Amino acid sequence: MRKRRLLKKIVYALITVFFVLVFNYFLFRILPGDVVSMLSRNAKISPEMIENIRAAYGLDLPWYEQFALYLRDLFTGNLGTSFTYKKPVIEVIGGKILPTVVLLGVAEIIAILIGIFFGVVSAWKRGKALDTGLLTTSLLLYSMPVFWFGMILVLIFSATLQLLPTGGMVTPGRLYADSWARMADIGRHMVMPAICMGLAMVGEYAITMRSTMIDVLQEDYITTARAKGFGESYVLRKHALPNAMLPMITIIAINLGLIVGGAIQIETVFSWPGLGNLMYTALNNRDYPLLQGLFLIVTVSVILANVLADLLYELVDPRVKS
Amino acid sequence: MRAKQALILMLTIILLITCAGCGAKEAASGEVIFTLAIQEEIDTFNPLSAWSIVSAEALMLVYDPLVRYDDAYDPVPCLAKSWELSDDQLTWTFHLAEGVQWHDGEPFTSADVKFTYETFYDQGAYLYSSYLEGISSIETPDANTVVITTEYPKANMLLNTTPIVPEHIWGEIAEDEIYDWVDDKVIGTGPFKYSAERSTEGVYVFVKNEAYFGEKKPYIDTLVLVIYENSDTIATALELGEIDGAAAIAATQKEALAASGKVDIINASVPGFSQVAINMAPEEYGGTGNPLLREKVIRHAIDYCVNRAYILEMAYNNAGTVGYTLINPGNPYHYQPTAQELRTYDPAKAAQLLEEAGYSDTNGDGIREDAQGNPLSFELISISDNSWEIKTAQIMASNCRDAGIEFRLTNMDSGALSDIIYTYEYDIHIWGWGADADPGTILAIFTTDFANETGFSNARYDELYEAQMREMDEAKRIELVQEMQQILYEESPYLIYIHDDYVQAIRSDKWTGYAGIPSENGGLFYNLTFNNYMNIRPADSK
Repeated sequence: MRKRRLLKKIVYALITVFFVLVFNYFLFRILPGDVVSMLSRNAKISPEMIENIRAAYGLDLPWYEQFALYLRDLFTGNLGTSFTYKKPVIEVIGGKILPTVVLLGVAEIIAILIGIFFGVVSAWKRGKALDTGLLTTSLLLYSMPVFWFGMILVLIFSATLQLLPTGGMVTPGRLYADSWARMADIGRHMVMPAICMGLAMVGEYAITMRSTMIDVLQEDYITTARAKGFGESYVLRKHALPNAMLPMITIIAINLGLIVGGAIQIETVFSWPGLGNLMYTALNNRDYPLLQGLFLIVTVSVILANVLADLLYELVDPRVKS
Repeated sequence: MRAKQALILMLTIILLITCAGCGAKEAASGEVIFTLAIQEEIDTFNPLSAWSIVSAEALMLVYDPLVRYDDAYDPVPCLAKSWELSDDQLTWTFHLAEGVQWHDGEPFTSADVKFTYETFYDQGAYLYSSYLEGISSIETPDANTVVITTEYPKANMLLNTTPIVPEHIWGEIAEDEIYDWVDDKVIGTGPFKYSAERSTEGVYVFVKNEAYFGEKKPYIDTLVLVIYENSDTIATALELGEIDGAAAIAATQKEALAASGKVDIINASVPGFSQVAINMAPEEYGGTGNPLLREKVIRHAIDYCVNRAYILEMAYNNAGTVGYTLINPGNPYHYQPTAQELRTYDPAKAAQLLEEAGYSDTNGDGIREDAQGNPLSFELISISDNSWEIKTAQIMASNCRDAGIEFRLTNMDSGALSDIIYTYEYDIHIWGWGADADPGTILAIFTTDFANETGFSNARYDELYEAQMREMDEAKRIELVQEMQQILYEESPYLIYIHDDYVQAIRSDKWTGYAGIPSENGGLFYNLTFNNYMNIRPADSK
């Protein structure tokens, strides 16, 4: 029974992915402009050369042939060659996906931990000064422009204190004695962007956590637990928190799925080599294969995260099964 | 509990990616490294399909052409140590430098030159194709001689910067794969070698080629190009010494950086301009532009409303020079309109011109109409992520209003714009062009063959274009090129308003030996030569 449901979910997920793939294909081609017409802004290029380049990228074929080729390549696992980087899309994305996932993953963990903590404490101390303080902080962090916050961090930690580098993922051109030195270098470069991104996301988690926690704390079983004489912190951890985590799982799952989309503002401020800027470049250059590849990855990870969330729900909440 | 596991997972992942650098040794102390901030990625090291400017810059360091430019853009020997031109001006004989080796140790020969030129011509190399036009045959009588025959006297032969690639590597690649072949070794003959091991995402490392054949070798051991997406952090990074130079900084950062006393700021004039392009395409081109723009008097009236000095100050932060014609002032080919020809900012004069030509405001709405009642109202498009061009459009619109011309302002991205301008489906737009050391390159955009987006076509202009491509006498070529610019200024398909500068910066307290090229106002980087990369050295060295 359970296996069948899982299978069904996976089939649905695959169907969704397929529709997104087809939709993306046409979506990008509806955009005015194509990569080759933009190349004609070079005084050295002749009209024949434009046609040659068009042919080299298969853009001279009728749309249905291009689409058929796209589908065929897709089923053989070939995402095509990026117009901009003249490399297989897989390689272009591959170079940037790890930096993105590492940075946003760490930021996400910071946000989740601080967010849950803030939310729980706020709900527990509802209406007290601590609650107001934490809630205000969360809202402030939530509404703060990431770009501006990043620049302030650079101003403090790089320009004034000279503790951290202004940007990039590694010290350019440096050779490392061992991988620990390299890791320390990456770590140093990641401090500011991770904190900046993490704090910006705290608000979302804190506010959601607070409101569900308040609901949960009013439930009869909490009163029962307290009446049984359990300590306050035990009630919070063992009785309230697991129940309040349910809506959080959905939010976390969706956010984790979106991680691979990158964060263009953070990547720009700190020159982090991530997928957000890659997507912007691809869009500006009308790099269809790269755009398709990026959207495919984002789609797949969002869907995957949702499937995972569903499965996790079953584990956390036995009611979902029935 | 779960969070702790996630943290451990994360750390493992970090460890995994960092392992790519396992085993690499710490750089030798005393290595002289110059780090330059760039804002665009190297799209590919394959010169056939490279498009970006920074790729051209990198290829220039790794590969050598036959001839290079000196600081005044005059040809100087490189792979060719000397050359002769036959009396009929059709046959060039290049004598190649001896003992030149590729980075992998193989000897360089004339066969490499022949292979490169033929392949690049057949494949239509984006950045270099125009240099190879008009070559009819290439002979290699011996390993150190290349004889090139041309169809007509080729005025830009010695401006040819096509990078010579090794036949023993490139010849192995199938013809239909060579265009987007991914070259991960990048073997050239140039003064720098690309170091794939030390390069990472957004960081390109080049090390000195100790075996370089040239008399002069680079002073620096290592050149690092690193991407900074954010021009504000470039300024901070310069002050902190994270980087030594920047190929482009925001004009707004100039004062703050200059005040530190450690940084040289250069307003680098680069060949090129920004223009207001007017769709004057005749009806048979099938466009949708406003037919009133086919009237020269209206184009001239608009030109009188362009307040160039004000635009330069307000929209461009003075990073540039006011301009009117295709080729930059300071270049011997530049044409400066005479006092009678020159149209400087004068809305009253514009109003008078329009009044005399019969365009007056008959319905009292402040906008002039023609005899049939069609208003002088045009759509003006600027590119949405280009704030200075958007400001220019706003300034122009308000000034044109004074002369009774209305502009409706629209923004779109460059992709969308490029789609409509080549089908003549617009009225007026603002964009720019980058030019080259050879004036012929930028002049080509107005030839009938090139199909300019304004619909400009002029028989005399085409004739002059062909003539200057074949004119070997520089003084005579200048005359031809100047007449072409004069025609364009009179016909006004483009209202050229500024020659934009790159604002470049370098740590003057740490480095010396660099210079603006081709003149004091020229660029330190992106100046079409490798001279500064060769000459730059630490300020405390002898």
